[in-house]
Amino acid sequence: MIKADVRLDAKGLSCPMPIVKTKKAMNNLVDGQILEVQATDKGSKADLPAWSESVGHQYIGVAEENGVLFHYLRKCSDDTVVEKIHEQIISIEEMEKGIGNGALILDVREEAEYAFGHIDGAKSIPMGELASRMEELNKDQDIYVICRTGKRSDLAAQKLAKAGFTKVYNVLPGMTDWQGDLTKSI
Amino acid sequence: MSNRVAIIASNGNLFDAYKVFNIATAAAASDKEVGVFFTFEGLNLIHKQGMHTLPMPEGKESMAEGFAKANVPSIPELVDMAQELGVKFIACQMTMDVMGLTKEDFVDGIEVGGAVTFLEFAKDAAPALTF
Repeated sequence: MIKADVRLDAKGLSCPMPIVKTKKAMNNLVDGQILEVQATDKGSKADLPAWSESVGHQYIGVAEENGVLFHYLRKCSDDTVVEKIHEQIISIEEMEKGIGNGALILDVREEAEYAFGHIDGAKSIPMGELASRMEELNKDQDIYVICRTGKRSDLAAQKLAKAGFTKVYNVLPGMTDWQGDLTKSI
Repeated sequence: MSNRVAIIASNGNLFDAYKVFNIATAAAASDKEVGVFFTFEGLNLIHKQGMHTLPMPEGKESMAEGFAKANVPSIPELVDMAQELGVKFIACQMTMDVMGLTKEDFVDGIEVGGAVTFLEFAKDAAPALTF
């Protein structure tokens, strides 16, 4: 089961109820949290991505199990562009070269985002778990921190730098520009 | 891009009601500002008693079973939901006069106005829909 901050049961409901319920549930999430919407309405496959696009949230993906659709959405209400602070940055192309030389890609997006598509071999540590899982990382290895748009990875890179990691690079812009294959873990 | 959706509801059977309220609630849930102008038979859709007994279109009575099976919400439920999501209901004064109806005959929280009231709301709307 994919980790979600809030799970919404919209099973058995027909259009427009899954959307109306999703809208209400989303109001109670804070920015960056994951909402799982369980629906049996087949129209939700088209409607929830369209709704997310329209109101500006991130639609992550859908998984189907025993006739139930599990949709994953991430709340994005704060679109303010924050200046990137971590100075060591690399492009997607440079990152690809580095992988062959033993560098680690650290994916700091939420578990659901990682599950629906990540770069093969990337290690998943969601931003919120980084502080408690830092010992899983090696200070001698080049670490390429990636998220969706470079915002969370900037924060993560700063956090690692403060903890004494020196070979930390923020990958810009992020998964939004990744053209290669995506590995799924669902 | 306009953030307004303007809807004219001018027919009074159950299908018309679903068309109006499904689009209205979906739009409101997508952060649109929604206004519905109820005129002629469309007034049935927000009539306190009328909205509970909206007729199926002639010849389509057999679809009642399909409605029950698909678990679609009732019209009064959709009316509540639309209002809760901030959909503005405007009842047509002229039609009310013709039919001898007053504001008290309708669900709470509606506005009563003439065509200009609606046009003022609809002038910046995209899309504007008629049912």
